[in-house]
This record gives sequence, C-alpha cells and structure tokens, in this order.
Amino acid sequence: MSTTSQKHRDFVGEPMGDKSVTALSGIGEILGKKLEQQGFDKAFVVLGQFLLLRKDSDMFIEWLKDASGANSRQAGSCAQCLKEWCDAFL
Amino acid sequence: MLPEVTPTSLLNPAQPRPAFRHILNPRTLYASTKMSLSEKSDEEIAQLLAQYDIKHGPIVDSTRKLYEKKLEKAMKEAPAKPSSDKTYYREEEEVITYMTYHNPVRHEGYADMLKRRGNAEPDEDEESDQDTEPSIQSSSTTVNHSTARPREPIRKSGGCVRKMIRLMLLLAVLAAVFYYTYFHVMNSEENILGLRDR
Repeated sequence: MSTTSQKHRDFVGEPMGDKSVTALSGIGEILGKKLEQQGFDKAFVVLGQFLLLRKDSDMFIEWLKDASGANSRQAGSCAQCLKEWCDAFL
Repeated sequence: MLPEVTPTSLLNPAQPRPAFRHILNPRTLYASTKMSLSEKSDEEIAQLLAQYDIKHGPIVDSTRKLYEKKLEKAMKEAPAKPSSDKTYYREEEEVITYMTYHNPVRHEGYADMLKRRGNAEPDEDEESDQDTEPSIQSSSTTVNHSTARPREPIRKSGGCVRKMIRLMLLLAVLAAVFYYTYFHVMNSEENILGLRDR
C-alpha cells in the first residue's frame, strides 16, 4: 500500500484550495457525481466530513462507502489521501 | 412485633426484579427503547456512544446515521455490557429502598393512629413507643446503608430525590414519637408539674 498514485501525490502535495471532489484520490466521475448530489461538491467539504469524524479513517471509509457507494479500495485510497493532506497542512 | 422484610432473598441479582420498578426507572426506560435510536436526541446518542466506549466526533446530520449504525452494532455484540452493571447497582439501590419503604410505612401507620387518638388516650403510648423506638432504629440503619450505596451508581438526581423522601419520612416519624413522649410525660406527671408550680 506504499505505492501512491499520481492523483494522490498531486493532491497531497499542495493546499487543496477550491479543487473539485474528483481531485481526491479514489474518487472518479461516478463517485464524484454521487457526492455532489449530496452537497459534497468540493474537496474541502469532504475534508470537513473527515474532520468531523475526528480524522478516523475507519469511520470515514464507512461513511464514504455509504454516501457514494465506493468500494473498500476507493474509500481507503480517499481516506489515506485526506489523512496525509491533514498531516502536511492541518 | 413487626414482621421483618427479609431482603436477603432480594439481594440475589439473578432473581427477576419487580416489573414496575423497571418501568418507573427512567434509565431502564431509555435502555428498553434502544432500537429506536433515530428518535433519540443528539446528546443521548453521544451518551450512548460514551457508554460503549466509542470515540466519536460531533453528532450532526452527516455523522448521525453513522453513529446510530455503530451503536446498533455495539448493542448487538454486547447488549448486557453497560446495562448489566447498571442493573446490579440498581438492584442494590432497589433492594435497600425496598427495605426502607417497608418499615417507615408501618411506622407511619402507627404514628398516624397515635396522632389521632393521641391526646385522649395516653395509655397506649407506652406500648407504641416501645414498638416504634426499636423499629425506628432499624429503619435509620437501613437509611444509612442506602445513603452509602447510591454514591456508586449513576449520578442522576432521582437517587437524591429518593434520599430526600426517605429523610423526610424519618423526620416525620421522629417528630410524631417525640410528640407522644412529650404528651405522655405531660399527662403522667401532672401532679409533679402542679407541685413545681411555675
């Protein structure tokens, strides 16, 4: 699991600013649309949810799977991405 | 004279508790409606999460469903874990209150009867005093026990209210007893008072 995708490295490397939710690692078009429907249209909103869950990756993964229908791999990737972003910038 | 309520049989936690106590007790009421988690307030959810030692963030719209699911899972896995401790303490509390409620009721009954007859018939006071005094002592000891125990269980105000009620009952009984001894003394020592001649 130490190999990270380019998307992951791109996201974690800089402040997210106003990036779309699809910029998150593991979140593609389809999952992105589902999240946007629920109001999570920007990456920072998803970050907000991650922080609300006290940066607990397991809880966040559970939530993401529920909210967007992501599978374990995708949700795990997104959680890892956000966690590292927080470690770097929060 | 008064048949003692033997609480030893009640001290067995395996025995089924009287049903009405469960219903009246708000803690068991909430525990019994655990399946309707969605109806609970955010604070209640937070309390339940703390009970099951589940670390959680704020309970808001987006997080609530998640915590409800967690609680359901936790309740299924360990349904007896938090409530069993509580029931044990509750039983202790219940047992002790059972004892105290039995005795003072009888005392009060005697005390009321005495009050009504009181001034007119001091003859009966002797017997009743002797009866009430030792029984008061026993009731006071039970009160002491009960005041010691409720420190352990949950810090709800209900326990304090019950303590207050018990104390008030005891005071009422003591006051009645003092009145009777006073009147008894007054009536029996009429002559002596006449001699003293204030």
